[in-house]
Amino acid sequence: MRFVRFVAFAMVRAWQGFWRNAMMSLAATATVVLMLVLLSGLFIVIGGLDSGLTFIEGKVGVTARLRDGLTDAERQPLIAYVETLPGVRSVDYVSPEMAMERLREVYREQGQELNLGGASITLQASIEVALTDPKMGTSVSNALAERYEVSQITTKQVDYDKLLGIIGVIRTVGIAALVLVGLTVLFMIVNMIRIAVYSRSGEIEIMRLVGASDSFIRWPFILEGILCGLIGSVITIVLVAVIWDPIQPIMVSVFEMPTAVSSRFLAVLSAVLLGVGLSVGALGSWISVRSNLSSAT
Amino acid sequence: MIGILERPGQTRTEGEGPVISMVDVGMTYPNGKMALIDLNVSIPSGDFVFLVGPSGAGKSTFIRLLIREQLATTGRVIVAGRDLARMRRSEVPALRRRIGIVFQDFRLLPAKTVFENVAFALEVTGTSRTEIRRRVPQLLSLVGLHEHDDHLPTQLSGGEQQRAAIARALVHDPSILIADEPTGNLDPVTSWEIIQLLIQINAMGTTVLMATHNQEIVNAMRRRVLALEQGTLVRDESGAAYEREY
Repeated sequence: MRFVRFVAFAMVRAWQGFWRNAMMSLAATATVVLMLVLLSGLFIVIGGLDSGLTFIEGKVGVTARLRDGLTDAERQPLIAYVETLPGVRSVDYVSPEMAMERLREVYREQGQELNLGGASITLQASIEVALTDPKMGTSVSNALAERYEVSQITTKQVDYDKLLGIIGVIRTVGIAALVLVGLTVLFMIVNMIRIAVYSRSGEIEIMRLVGASDSFIRWPFILEGILCGLIGSVITIVLVAVIWDPIQPIMVSVFEMPTAVSSRFLAVLSAVLLGVGLSVGALGSWISVRSNLSSAT
Repeated sequence: MIGILERPGQTRTEGEGPVISMVDVGMTYPNGKMALIDLNVSIPSGDFVFLVGPSGAGKSTFIRLLIREQLATTGRVIVAGRDLARMRRSEVPALRRRIGIVFQDFRLLPAKTVFENVAFALEVTGTSRTEIRRRVPQLLSLVGLHEHDDHLPTQLSGGEQQRAAIARALVHDPSILIADEPTGNLDPVTSWEIIQLLIQINAMGTTVLMATHNQEIVNAMRRRVLALEQGTLVRDESGAAYEREY
């Protein structure tokens, strides 16, 4: 019961304290919102690019076109050799007939029929090498390039590496920006609590003299910082939810994000925003209380 | 009214020993200033003691040591049977609930009513609303402010404000009441009213230690006097006057 009274006391005092220095509290809350909006943007972009990366990873493989007129006896040792290469998951042979059928399929998907104008063409046979790790694409390509049975090699390795590089840059720049904004938020909350402590120094002195424990003195201030983080988080979550409708199709179509992942994304993002907002609020107020509310002797 | 300051089954005496004891106490500030030098004082439970001396004599440091706002650099300070130097930080609030303190400037919270000021001292120590509603009116009756419970401090006279501060100091039924210049801001008539209240509280068993410059009151009361000069206890005399009489 005493604990319940303590919690009620601390929460009421935190709420009163937040509105007593409303300008400072709202300014600190605004910086929390700014930080969390930036975090949301980074989370959405990185999440989208990661999805794109996963999509490309599934497609990354090595395709080796074979010389014309290669016999079955020549082809089998090549396939057996490729299967022994590190990083190779499977090797599929695509005959010229199968290649032609795929081409027709591509046209059909676009609502057209392949029209060769009566000409008879023969596509090259190829082997498609699926990889266990997209990073192994270069070594497999190099090994295939040395084989006389192979006439040409195609791979999406370059696209994959490029995307990986872009994600790395965005992640680094985004995290650096987040750290800077995060420090600003901490600074704002530390100052908000410092001002609150000074404005209530009379009450704090009375509390100490009448035998209030440190918990009763400190927790209202810590909760005030947490309240700042909570309000900032809720505002940001509402903002993201409002703009989520136009964003979701982009995530699915542009970044090839699976629909199941996309529908879960907002819930995960909301949990992250809430967690970060509360943590920053708690950390800022805890730092301020530690430095400004020196413990009684 | 005695019942207000005494709980059933509880006595005011802190065992057999004195309620306040200082043994070879010295206090030197970081800048080298010696605020108290080799102080030896023993105050039994239920005593009424005046602490006198010129400004800078060490009275405030003396009080700060008793409420453990500062620790003595040498010697031992024992309050209510506890050696304050050996006390854990978490035990300090419990000690302070056994010591009521009032100041010359009252230190009431200006935005709270008289009732709220007194209730605040209970609220911040986790007292239930029921207990607060029961106890605060009793204390306000004791100090004669029951009809002013909804007044803000600015609506009260100096004497009434000091009464409110005394009520707040008594909320935890302390065994010691420290009054630091309680009449310093009051006219002579009001000062005597406050002294009468302190005598009444002392008569209920609470030990009263009053720091003062008011010679008239000390001389009229003829109680025990501790006189400090430049950090040294120069006089510890019962039934004494403000100045040395011999």
